[in-house]
Amino acid sequence: MDHPIQTDYLRWIVLLPLLGAGINGLLGAILQRQFGKRAISFVACTPVVISFLLSIWAFINLLALDPEKRFLIDSLYTWISLGSLNVTVAFWLDPLSVVMILVITGVGGLIHIYSIGYMQEDEAYWRYFAFLNLFTFAMLLLVTADNLLLMFIGWEGVGFCSYALIGFWYRDHVNTRAGNKAFIVNRVGDVGFLLGIFLIYWSLDKAGHGTVTFREIETFVPLIKDLEIWGIGVVTLATLFLFIGAMGKSAQIPLHVWLPDAMQGPTPVSALIHAATMVTAGVYMIARLNFLYSLAPSTLTVIATVGALTAFLSATIGLVQNDIKRVLAYSTVSQLGYMFLAMGAGAYSAGIFHLVTHAFFKACLFLSAGSVIQAMHHEQDMQKMGGLRWRLPYTHLTYLVAGIALAGIPPFAGFFSKDEILWKSFSHGLIFQWALGFAAAGLTAFYIFRQIFLVFYGSPRADPHTQSLVHESPQIMVLPLLILAFLSLIGGSLGVPEVLGGSNRIEHWFEPVFGSPGGHENAPVAMEILLMALSVGIGLFGITLAYLIYLRKTLVADTFSSLAAGVPYRLLFQKYYVDELYQFTFVRGTLFFSRVGAWIDQYIIDFIVDGSAKTTTFISWVNGLFDNYVVDWIVNKIADSTFGAGDKFRKIQTGNINSYLYVVLGAVVLAIIVKLRYSG
Amino acid sequence: MTHPYFPVLMIFLFAGVIVVSFLFIAQLVGPKRPNPIKSEPFESGNPPKGDARIRFSVKFYMVAMLFLIFDLEVVFLYPWAILFRRLGLFGLVEMGIFLSVLIIGFIYVWRKGALEWE
Amino acid sequence: MDLTNLESLKYFYPEIILSGTVLLLVILDLVIQNKRVLAPFAALGCLLSLGATLQLYGTSEGWLFHRMVVLDNFSLFFKVVSLLAVLLVIWMSVGCHEIRQIYQGEYYTVLLASTLGMFFMASSTNLLMAYLSLELVSLTSYILTGSLHHNRRSSEAALKYLIYGGVASGSMIYGMSWIFGMTGSLDYAVIREVLHQGEANRLTLFMAFLFILSGFGYKAVFVPFHMWSPDVYEGAPTPITAFLSVGSNAAGVAIMIRFFFPAVSHLGEGGNWDFIPGVEWPHFLLMVSMVTMTLGNLCALGQQNVKRLLAYSGIAHAGYILMGLVVLNNIGLRAMLFYIVVYLIMNLGAFLVVIIVSNATGREDIEAYRGLAWRGAAVPATCMAIFLFSLAGLPPLAGFVGKFFLFAAVIKGEFYFLAVVAIINSVISLYYYALIVKTMFLDFPEPTDQEVAMTPTVFPLLLILAIPTVFFGIYWGPLFHYTNQSLGFFIK
Repeated sequence: MDHPIQTDYLRWIVLLPLLGAGINGLLGAILQRQFGKRAISFVACTPVVISFLLSIWAFINLLALDPEKRFLIDSLYTWISLGSLNVTVAFWLDPLSVVMILVITGVGGLIHIYSIGYMQEDEAYWRYFAFLNLFTFAMLLLVTADNLLLMFIGWEGVGFCSYALIGFWYRDHVNTRAGNKAFIVNRVGDVGFLLGIFLIYWSLDKAGHGTVTFREIETFVPLIKDLEIWGIGVVTLATLFLFIGAMGKSAQIPLHVWLPDAMQGPTPVSALIHAATMVTAGVYMIARLNFLYSLAPSTLTVIATVGALTAFLSATIGLVQNDIKRVLAYSTVSQLGYMFLAMGAGAYSAGIFHLVTHAFFKACLFLSAGSVIQAMHHEQDMQKMGGLRWRLPYTHLTYLVAGIALAGIPPFAGFFSKDEILWKSFSHGLIFQWALGFAAAGLTAFYIFRQIFLVFYGSPRADPHTQSLVHESPQIMVLPLLILAFLSLIGGSLGVPEVLGGSNRIEHWFEPVFGSPGGHENAPVAMEILLMALSVGIGLFGITLAYLIYLRKTLVADTFSSLAAGVPYRLLFQKYYVDELYQFTFVRGTLFFSRVGAWIDQYIIDFIVDGSAKTTTFISWVNGLFDNYVVDWIVNKIADSTFGAGDKFRKIQTGNINSYLYVVLGAVVLAIIVKLRYSG
Repeated sequence: MTHPYFPVLMIFLFAGVIVVSFLFIAQLVGPKRPNPIKSEPFESGNPPKGDARIRFSVKFYMVAMLFLIFDLEVVFLYPWAILFRRLGLFGLVEMGIFLSVLIIGFIYVWRKGALEWE
Repeated sequence: MDLTNLESLKYFYPEIILSGTVLLLVILDLVIQNKRVLAPFAALGCLLSLGATLQLYGTSEGWLFHRMVVLDNFSLFFKVVSLLAVLLVIWMSVGCHEIRQIYQGEYYTVLLASTLGMFFMASSTNLLMAYLSLELVSLTSYILTGSLHHNRRSSEAALKYLIYGGVASGSMIYGMSWIFGMTGSLDYAVIREVLHQGEANRLTLFMAFLFILSGFGYKAVFVPFHMWSPDVYEGAPTPITAFLSVGSNAAGVAIMIRFFFPAVSHLGEGGNWDFIPGVEWPHFLLMVSMVTMTLGNLCALGQQNVKRLLAYSGIAHAGYILMGLVVLNNIGLRAMLFYIVVYLIMNLGAFLVVIIVSNATGREDIEAYRGLAWRGAAVPATCMAIFLFSLAGLPPLAGFVGKFFLFAAVIKGEFYFLAVVAIINSVISLYYYALIVKTMFLDFPEPTDQEVAMTPTVFPLLLILAIPTVFFGIYWGPLFHYTNQSLGFFIK
């Protein structure tokens, strides 16, 4: 193992946001009163910006090294030293984590700046920024930690900030409940994560090299490759446990339920924590431990399947939501599914690539949505929007760019990363998962454009008073939007695949971490291009469908020309009858199928369900009896007798000093008697 | 049963049994005809007057306590005086410190009014 | 080293400074009209004394004043602990409405005198000295308990405390007289030597220990010598309750360790102590420890008054701390010292929140905490949650680490049953701690509940107590190292 290069500036990347959090957290209320909100935002934004600059510096330093030696480490102190367990607080930078910190500090910095405008009216301005900074710190800690335990601290830290910020407006109980939900669901995942850590440590310890440091685990993992408990490989079990943790944090089915509710927090928080960074922690963790996962093919299959299912199912849910942020939330879940699909296919670099581009366009979408929400006076129902294009020109532009990127239309960022994932999963032989992902791509294009059409196009559906007050957001909010939109536009250039004449730079960049991509190199080029065309095709199809349903139906012709200047539209416009055809085939078809489905549901499924329900009812009745009369009785008895004992004992405490002294006397006599009796 | 003190234990037990049984028998068979005179507390033939529990002024305790403290402390002066020559300067300084502490206490008591009767 | 009176003075600055402060406080109280300066002055004296104590680290260990007291790392540790306790309590007292009705001069004078007594409790190596120091702490505690002179509960508590303490110290000195009778000496070192010749009657020795334990046990609050504590804790002014629960408890543990370890046991291989064979005081303590924690926790379960609840929780904690004594080795003793520090911080914190609430509402029952977090006291409520969870021993708080070390010592000593009982007790205790947290956060305030505001002096203190509670839960290395180092006894 190469010895990594020691540095001493990495710590500042991580600790500066903590400093900001500390100042704002402890003195924020005073600062805000004395110097105004400007001081708070200065204290909060400066460390993140400096961190970003330092991250770029670190990146340049890494670039200057040979690809094989791209490790920087910054050890602070020994944290725990217990027996064979030796844990240091050390920050570690390699090609993987440097990409993560660039995203966190870069996108995070932009969101900090955006928040200056967005949170301007809020009284607890300082509290908001303190938590935002604390979050940035914890997230940086998570990705730069050089061992699992430190990573876990960051893991819990981001979780904590997330709960705190979801329930930021805590006076409304809906918000605190959403925070609680996130907290509880994540606990389930954390149990898995902790079990995974314990299992890895335990098995390595058994093999004589107990450690939690990533580099050492990588070195010693061959020792435990063949170890088994209960007939299951330790590595498989550990990776499965860790994946449960990842499922919780990254909102994978069935642990995805908290993320849509998390939209109760302020919108920049949704953008930063619930779209761009924290929820990708699970993906990062798996990529970080890729050497472990690569040894557990069955776990990888599970991951790919869960990812693909999540991508597909949450995309279908996204189709019918009316809350502007909820659509984006389901979209996030779906996109995270893609990333896990990539992980499961062993295409780690593709997954991280998608993580990066997703951070750009999804943050952009959320912030734009925030801009819309603020313009509409906290209206989030898309049914009450419409026609905002002219009133919010910049927001409209950025939303559109990011939306296209999400829909996966070249040459926007989302296309390259998503297509890479689909291609890798296909060429890896995961055909079923690929099919789900492919279908989800069409759905994605559909729902995001449905949203764009509903919000920005068509006639205004808001009441005239609100409509007259709609205004573009201040510059400080627009600027981050434009930067993010620009990144969503060009971000794909990081990983243009070879077939399109690119050099897939990001894949080469990750080679020291993930190893060379192998196996599918000799897959036919034609196949790759065909699949690419197919996925673009289904994306365009989705957009067209959205257009036909949501815009065409409601608007007169004169606004048509202004719609997306793209080729697909004109093509379809000239063949106008296609609209009717689609209307007939797809919408009717869908309705027909849904009727058939309803019929099946009513007569066949219901019968089965009823039958099984009756059986279940009977079993549960028996069970209930057992529960009520046996289990409850035992539980209640224990609780009652504990309380009863407490009451009895408290009665000794009469308040009468004489009786107190008798107790002492009695005890002393008893002790002497016992002594005499047993040891004479 | 050859322990030398076993008979003593027997005597204890015997005495206990006899006392308890006498009390019990008296309670059981003795006639009970209480009247007000009989129920009065017995004070060696004198008719009882007033409650035995009367309230003293707390000031008595105060003075008694203060006297006790300073009296006891001053007693230390006697052994010191006897050994004064042998202790020399050290003894003088030590007693000086001791007395100054005592005097601070005295001033405290005085200023707080603990020595005033009213 | 074995120093005479004059030579000893050089190593005696902490005590001298404290005594001087006590005297100056008396004088100041007489001459100064503005009583507000007294608290800072008392605190200053304590700080100076703390400085002098820290100065003594690194100097050689030894007997002072003709083997009356001893200077070693162990005694220095407890001096530091008592000074920290009294400093924090002075700070608490400044922000407490209850204390403002009390004569300020007497209050701080007696408080410092009590601290002085604790110094001696930890450092005396002579039975007579041990007795006197214990009495000094006791007498001052009675006064402090009764210092709310218009409050009947306070006076009643003080009187009960006095009677109970009188009996306890009486039986203790009786036990000491037995020891003296058997060994012919009051000096710990001599006692140890004579006892280990093995000529003393085992039964007599056991009974002597039992009598002495009743005195120590009353200071360290364990069953069955705990009966005074709920009444006293409830009646005393809250800062004093806090002081008694941490300071005098710690001193009780100190005097007990000092007597039972260097004085009557031998330090053997690998930090294990050998006690005199045939005298089963460790077995006795094992039972006592289990009964103490169980009884404390069970009684706390249905408690409605938070102060009284914390009193019972204090009894339970005394039981936990006692576990470290039972295992008879240095691992256990170290865990005890560690726990004492941690307990000091978290328990003072909990009492501080009790003060904040009673300042605002004048009440101490759990009802007064209803919806505390929503009544303008989110910070105290949060801190209270931290303290209570730490007391319950939840990670990642300091209380968890403390309990972890104690349990580890017990398990390592193969007292599995004790460990199981302790763990069950921890679970029981979680119920009533969590109940308060639930009341503070999940119940909603009724319109009649007042807003709870903090006085400006209290807020920093709250942070000073809350931050280490979390910090030592995450990074306990230095504290652990310090307690490890403090386990140095001067024995010859």
